Amino acid sequence: MHESALVRFRSEIRHFYVITIANIVFAALVMAFGISMLIGQAVSMYETFSTALYVIYSPVILLIAFVAALTGFSWLLTSVRIFEGIETIKDDLDEKGSGASDEALTRLIVSMLSHYRDNRATIRTMILVCTLGGVCSFVLGILGSLEHLSVSTDGIVFTLNNYLVIPFMLLTLGVALISLASSYYFSRFAKVWDGRIGEIEESEALLKETLELDRR
Amino acid sequence: MSGRRTAFEIYWEILVFCRTPQSFTGIINRCDLNSKTGQEYLGFLVEKEYLVEVTEGDKTRYVSTERAGEYTALFSSLYRKLFDTPPRFKL
Repeated sequence: MHESALVRFRSEIRHFYVITIANIVFAALVMAFGISMLIGQAVSMYETFSTALYVIYSPVILLIAFVAALTGFSWLLTSVRIFEGIETIKDDLDEKGSGASDEALTRLIVSMLSHYRDNRATIRTMILVCTLGGVCSFVLGILGSLEHLSVSTDGIVFTLNNYLVIPFMLLTLGVALISLASSYYFSRFAKVWDGRIGEIEESEALLKETLELDRR
Repeated sequence: MSGRRTAFEIYWEILVFCRTPQSFTGIINRCDLNSKTGQEYLGFLVEKEYLVEVTEGDKTRYVSTERAGEYTALFSSLYRKLFDTPPRFKL
């Protein structure tokens, strides 16, 4: 029983670790996107007011860029906090190898449960943010690349703005897919770990009985 | 070990750590407790005879008793049992 529990626990921790890394990458991309847009808007502002060129900056884009940069930054910090906890557990697990004792495995399971309890609300927010971010990236990737789209009984015909747009479109779609996948896996993991916390709460009666708390 | 833990998880941590004699400071440092809560947990475990105080010179140390084994074994089996079944999604 111990070996299979160890194998399953290790597999889950490794997958959760990979998803957390994907989440960090996505947060960094959102922040980078926001910053690049901010810089672009700052240049437009300068050119609007200082040169004769007909360039007008957009306050709406400026606001969106600012919000994206800020959201990306706070999201990055949150993801890193979750990542650090998982990394510590994963490192301990790797260090113990396949010869981890029952006690060591139990300690790591308790660590993971307490890490999850600490970050449960954050993970729920991440699921929402990842889903929203993924859908937005997907729509932006499609809209940014299309020049013309017509839907008829013969089928769907679309024209790309420029062939140079294809790599950008693929990147945006890739980001969207990673974001949606990480949201999906976060929600599945959250469901499983919520179930485990529920099981532990049910088992507490037995632990309480063993500790004779009732006769205190 | 830190983070949000249940009282039962803290009891287990203390009892496992005290298989060899430990000082009060060592226990609260290892289990990430403050003095007040540490005193409460230790007081409870001593009262229930899961821990005994051993005096070595002018130092007091705590050691788990045989009774503690029953609790720690049950605790470990319950927590490992969480992984008896794989998650219902493909990893």
